[in-house]
Amino acid sequence: MTDLFQYVPGNSPLHRMNPVTKIFLTLCICVAAFLTDNLFFLLFLLAFDLLIGVVAGAARKAFTIFRGLVKVSLFLFVLQALFVRRGNRLFWIITDEGLLTAASVVLRLLVVCLPLALVLTVTQVSDIANAMVQVLHVPYAYAFTLTTAIRFIPQFMEEMSGIMEAQTARGVEFDSKNFVKKLGMLLPLCTPLLISSVRRTGATATAAEVRGFDLRTRTSGYKRYGFGLIDLAALIVSAALIAGAVLIS
Amino acid sequence: MIELQSLTFRYAGSDRDALSDLTLTIPDGAFVGVIGPAGAGKTTFAHCLSGIVPHAVRGDFYGAVRVDGMDTADTRLTDLSRLVGTVFQDVESQIISSVVEDELLYGLENFGVPREEIEERLAFALEEVGIAPLRHRSIASLSGGQRQKVAIASLVALRPRILVLDEPTGELDPSSSRQIFSLLRRLNREYGMTVVVVEQKIMLLCEFAERLLVLSEGRVARDGSVREVLGDIEGLEAIGVNCPRSARFSALLGEKTGREIPVCVNAEEAVEAARRVIG
Amino acid sequence: MIRAEHVSYSYHGAAQTVRDLSFHIEKGEFTAILGENGAGKTTAVKLIDGLLLPTSGRMLVNGLDTPKTRVSERARQVGYLFQNPDRQICKNTVREEIAFGLRAVWGKGEEEKINARTDELLDLFSFRGDEEPFSLSRGQRQQVALASTLAVKPAVLLLDEPTTGLDYRECTRIMEFIRALNEDEGTTVVMVCHDMEIVLDYARRALVMAGGALIGDGPVKEIFRDPALMERASLLPPQIVQIASSLGGEFARADDAETLSSMVARAAERRTV
Repeated sequence: MTDLFQYVPGNSPLHRMNPVTKIFLTLCICVAAFLTDNLFFLLFLLAFDLLIGVVAGAARKAFTIFRGLVKVSLFLFVLQALFVRRGNRLFWIITDEGLLTAASVVLRLLVVCLPLALVLTVTQVSDIANAMVQVLHVPYAYAFTLTTAIRFIPQFMEEMSGIMEAQTARGVEFDSKNFVKKLGMLLPLCTPLLISSVRRTGATATAAEVRGFDLRTRTSGYKRYGFGLIDLAALIVSAALIAGAVLIS
Repeated sequence: MIELQSLTFRYAGSDRDALSDLTLTIPDGAFVGVIGPAGAGKTTFAHCLSGIVPHAVRGDFYGAVRVDGMDTADTRLTDLSRLVGTVFQDVESQIISSVVEDELLYGLENFGVPREEIEERLAFALEEVGIAPLRHRSIASLSGGQRQKVAIASLVALRPRILVLDEPTGELDPSSSRQIFSLLRRLNREYGMTVVVVEQKIMLLCEFAERLLVLSEGRVARDGSVREVLGDIEGLEAIGVNCPRSARFSALLGEKTGREIPVCVNAEEAVEAARRVIG
Repeated sequence: MIRAEHVSYSYHGAAQTVRDLSFHIEKGEFTAILGENGAGKTTAVKLIDGLLLPTSGRMLVNGLDTPKTRVSERARQVGYLFQNPDRQICKNTVREEIAFGLRAVWGKGEEEKINARTDELLDLFSFRGDEEPFSLSRGQRQQVALASTLAVKPAVLLLDEPTTGLDYRECTRIMEFIRALNEDEGTTVVMVCHDMEIVLDYARRALVMAGGALIGDGPVKEIFRDPALMERASLLPPQIVQIASSLGGEFARADDAETLSSMVARAAERRTV
């Protein structure tokens, strides 16, 4: 779980693509998923997501995320299927429209979440931030907030599991199966977690300041993010996806 | 050069001075070790040198700290940090980026180091600190010692004249701790960097520092060469500072033989002294 | 008390690995685990505590196999003091903090017993019960954590670098406490520690680890006198042992400054006579 959002170094076409293009492509996939109602097109998008994973050399990770999402999806699917009452009853309280809606909700969820997770696998957050500052002229303070937030995720997880471990060691039964009970045990842990987080953010701000945070401008970044053929190709694909979604729905 | 003149600081909301009436000078090229019991004001002292106190910490600040003649209270923290590099006690909170290379680039980019110079400085810092193979690694995958080195490298790349470190070996094992101190010694000797390091491990300070500054309850309790300061073991213990066993050994040996035994700051010196006594 | 039988642990992708650990620690022993960062010391301690379960082999504590023991049952028998007290402390007063661990293990019905025991510990450590743990110094917080670990009177006490970030006085106070516990109550102590002087002063037996394997096991004083072993573990013996070993001969066995200086002084006298 901790390494889900972590960058995996590589030299695939996706690694070399301009971060802005990657974000754009991701957004286009999301938009396409919401524009279309066609299940087959959604399936096609899902396949496309997995293909991206394979091209990025992160096939295993893509499928791990996929599997994780499927678990959540099954739950959602059942809920949707139970609650949608329109359409013709197939059996018990399940209707055909219920099933269709459930399927499309679940597929959308998969289609949208996968590339969002994958982008972070093939792009360093700092590159996303720098490119946004350089290319899109996003103010640096926002970009900084993004990078530190992402940087803190693994740290936060580390801290959380450390705290849970310490509490388990003193006899708090985190291995309980009862969800409510577990939640009740988690609450007291918020104190140490909050305290360490607040301490850290203050120090991080100072650390950034003593290394020239205030002096940073749009052109400070050392790395340059150019547009190449691969970016052009990605843009065409993005446009095609949107067009497809509009036409096929 | 760093000059402290009647420096007094009290944190907002506190009822006692964290530092009171400190006056001392740290010349260029010095290697100063700072030690003292918990609550002696060591971290506050380090923060005063780098300007974090009074700029980023609220409280009452009296007296003056001058770095190269610049009064830290009147100089922007950003400008001060071109001169003084700071390694925080909690390295985790100091590291901003997710990848080693980016962490080193951060300061270089911000301080407007020319593009053609950046690569050279980057390579220099990675090489000097001995983490060149880690350049493209993600920080999350590094060990505590490696992260500590990344934090130091990110400052070395900026080539500050003064390096202030707050317990840089806190969570490290003995061999990584020595590596960090060897690195500091090289930066000090080869590049003339002034090093001020707060440290609890007295044996490391004895081996690597030239001058020891003992703080106690916000005041300077001892200030002198390592040998001078270790001359008074009982005094140090009363303050709450441990002494290396070699110094204890030389003091006891002097007592028992009635001879003048020089203070031994490490094992080699103690062996030497014992051999002289035995003959 | 603690018996490791060919215990291995590996976690895919993580650095935490130990290979084929076998040792037996008797009741009342004071054992230190030595080795550099990443040698597997913390993993070994967590395996004893049952926070990690062996991927192969068996870890028996007090005759109980760790995977088969309930968390609270284990917590009653094994106390674990972490390097960072802030991960352990979660209540707003010292009193609540100490009572929290007791409640988790003894159950909520035992309020009277819990109160009595909490008072005992507050007294023992001279804490004020209404003090806020997070306003205390690191050393004091470490003592709060120790107090709440000891509250349930564990038969085994595991310490993971208990003196990190503490000054000399705080460090001595904590260690003297642990020594008393070990000597007076017969608590079995297993400690991971980077400070060889502390190991020499307090521990009697040492397990040396490198690369996830156990490479040495014996009395502390002998372990420190095995230069090849120390080298393999990237460790330096404590200063007095270094001095004594370099002097060699009759001096080689001295372990503290007092003894060694007396020996050297006597030798000098003999020579002048």
